[in-house]
Amino acid sequence: MAYIPATWDMYDLIQGVLQAPWYHMVFEVALILLIFKIYVSQSFSPEKTVLTEKEKDLLVEEWQPEPLTPNVPDDHPIIQSMEKYCIEGQNGKYITVNGKSCINMSTFNFISMVGNKQIQDRAVKALRVYGVGSCGPRGFYGTMDVHLELEDELAKFMTSEEAILYSYSFATIASAIPAYSKRGDIIFADENVGFAIQKGLIASRSHIKWFRHNDMEHLESLLIEQNKADKKNPKKAKVTRRFIVVEGLYLNTGKICPLPKLVELKWKYKVRIFLEESMSFGVLGETGRGVTEHFDISRDNIDLIAGSLENSIASVGGFCCGKKFVIDHQRLSGLGYCFSASQPPMLAASAIEALHILQEQPRLLVDLREKCEKIHDKLKNVTHIQLIGDPISPIKHLMLTEPASDRDLDMHTLEMVVDYAMNEGVALTIARHLDSEENNLLPPSIRLSVNCELTDEEINKVVSVISDAFREVLQKLSSVDMKSPLDSVKQGDGEQIASR
Amino acid sequence: MNVGVAHSDSNPTHSYFNSKGIWLTYLLLVFGVHLLLLSVPFFSVAVAWTLTNVLHDVCMFVMLHVTKGTPWETSDQGIARTETQWEQIDYGKQFTATKKFFTTVPVVLFFLASFYSRYDKYHFVINASVLALNLIPKLPQLHKVRIFGINKY
Repeated sequence: MAYIPATWDMYDLIQGVLQAPWYHMVFEVALILLIFKIYVSQSFSPEKTVLTEKEKDLLVEEWQPEPLTPNVPDDHPIIQSMEKYCIEGQNGKYITVNGKSCINMSTFNFISMVGNKQIQDRAVKALRVYGVGSCGPRGFYGTMDVHLELEDELAKFMTSEEAILYSYSFATIASAIPAYSKRGDIIFADENVGFAIQKGLIASRSHIKWFRHNDMEHLESLLIEQNKADKKNPKKAKVTRRFIVVEGLYLNTGKICPLPKLVELKWKYKVRIFLEESMSFGVLGETGRGVTEHFDISRDNIDLIAGSLENSIASVGGFCCGKKFVIDHQRLSGLGYCFSASQPPMLAASAIEALHILQEQPRLLVDLREKCEKIHDKLKNVTHIQLIGDPISPIKHLMLTEPASDRDLDMHTLEMVVDYAMNEGVALTIARHLDSEENNLLPPSIRLSVNCELTDEEINKVVSVISDAFREVLQKLSSVDMKSPLDSVKQGDGEQIASR
Repeated sequence: MNVGVAHSDSNPTHSYFNSKGIWLTYLLLVFGVHLLLLSVPFFSVAVAWTLTNVLHDVCMFVMLHVTKGTPWETSDQGIARTETQWEQIDYGKQFTATKKFFTTVPVVLFFLASFYSRYDKYHFVINASVLALNLIPKLPQLHKVRIFGINKY
C-alpha cells in the first residue's frame, strides 16, 4: 500500500480530484446518475394490484348489493324458539318452560352450582361491596381484589404457577391461541373441536392441520410428515412453532381425548399441547381438576390449559393456567384479556365460592359420574337412537339411527322429539351449529347434559320420555307413508297455525 | 409517528423514520462517530473517513437489511416476521422521501471518503464494496427477494 501521509492540505486534495483514476470517475458518475434517477422517480407500492379500466368495469358490473336487512327464513331456529319456548326463573335441575316445570337436560349445570344458596349469599355480599360492573379492562382500572384472589385460587386448584382470568369463556381460548401461534406456525387440531377453538385457529393465521376425531394414528402420521419436512428445511423448522390443540371433553361429541397418547406424541415430536377444558373442568377427575387428573397425568406436561367458569362453576368467564412465563405473555397479548371489561366482581366472588364448594364436596363428582353411567346404560338400548359419547361424560348426543339424506329433515324430526319431550316434562335441546361455518359438521343430534342431583325416578322418567318421544315421532312420520316426512312436518305446522 | 402523539399504526416500524427530527439525529450521529474517529491520534484523515464510511454502511446493512421483524409486539399475527426493516418502512412503498434520503446518505459518504483518501485504489475497493452492500438491497427489484434463500427465515 502506498504511503499515505496523516493529512493533506486542501490544495493537495483538490489536486487529487484532478489526478483521480478513470475507473473512479466512471463509478462516481454512475452513482450520481443513480441518485438522480431515484430522485425523479415517483413513489409506488410494489404489492399493489393495478386494475385496468376493463377490469374495473367488470368488477362494478359484478357487484351485487347486499339486502339492508338479512333474509331470515320464517322457520329459523332462533325465531322459532323465541316464539315456542319462554323460560322463567333459574335454569337449575328443573326449568320452567312456558309455565310448565320440566327436568332440565339441556344446560351445563353438571354439579348443580346454579341456584346454590351459599354462592348466592356470597354474590350478594360482594355486590354490596363492589357494585355490579367492574367498569374497565383488567389493565385499566378493572382489577379488583376478588379477581386476583380468583386467579390465585384457580392456580392453586390446578397446581400450576399462574392463572389468568378472562371475562368470557368463548374469548378465552379464542384469544389464547392467536397470542402464541402466529403466521407460519403449525397447529394440529382435532377436526371436532368446539366453535371457540375454531375461531381462535382462524385468528392465529397459522397453518392448520386437522386430524380425525380422537384418531391418534392419523395425528402421528401428520407429525411424521411434518418431521420429514422439517428435516428437509431445518432453517424454516427452527422458526416454526408447532402446537396440538385438543379439547379435554368434546362438546360436539361427548368424548374424552386420549391424553396419555397425546403427551407421548408431544415429547416424541416436540410439539406443545393446548388443552381446552371448558367441559371437563369441574367434571372429570377425582376432584374436578379435569382430564389431566382423570388420566393421572402431571399438568406440567401440558403447556396451556384453558377452562371455563360458565359450565360447572356457574359463573361467568374463563381462565388459562400454566407456567408463569407462558401465562404472563397473555397479559399483553391476549386480546380478550386486554380489550374487554373484567368480570363483574360479584361473579368472580361466586366463582371463588363455587371452587370452595367443589373442593369441600368431592361427592358431587362421584354422584355425577354415577348418574352419567346410569343414563348411558339405559339409553344405550333404546331403539331409533344412536348414543354418542363416553359413559362417564355428562354430555351425550342422541342421533337418529336411520338419518335421512336431508339435514333439514332430520332437524325437523328432532325438533318434534324435543317438543314431545317438553310436553311430557323433560326439557331437551338440539345441538345448534352455525352450519356454514363449522369445520366438520356432525349429523343433527339432541344434546343431553346430565345433572348430578338427578334421582333414579327422574332418570327413569327422562329415559322413558326420550324413548317414547322417538318412537311416537318416527311412527307418526312413517304413518304418513306416501308423502315425504317433510310434507307431514309442514302440514303439522299448518295445523298448528290454524288452531291458533 | 411522533413522540407523545397517539398513532394508530399497528406496526411503528412503518413510520418511525418519518418522525420529526429523526433525519437530523441520524446525520448528527454519523458526524459524531466521525469526529471520534478523527480524534484517535494514529488514524490519518483518510483512514478516519474510510472507517466512518465502513462503520456506517455495515451498521446500516445489519439494521435495515438483515434484521427482520419488529421490536414491538404487533397485532398483525406476524406479517413483519419475514420482512426486513427496510421492507417495512413506509408500508413497503418504493422511492418515498425517507427511502430517497437513506439511499443518498451512503453515496455522499462514499464521495467524501474517496475525496479525503485522495482516490486511493485500496480505499476505493473497501468503500465501494460496503456501498454496494447498501445500494443493492435497496433496489425496488429486490423488494422481498432473498437471493439463494439467504436470510429467508
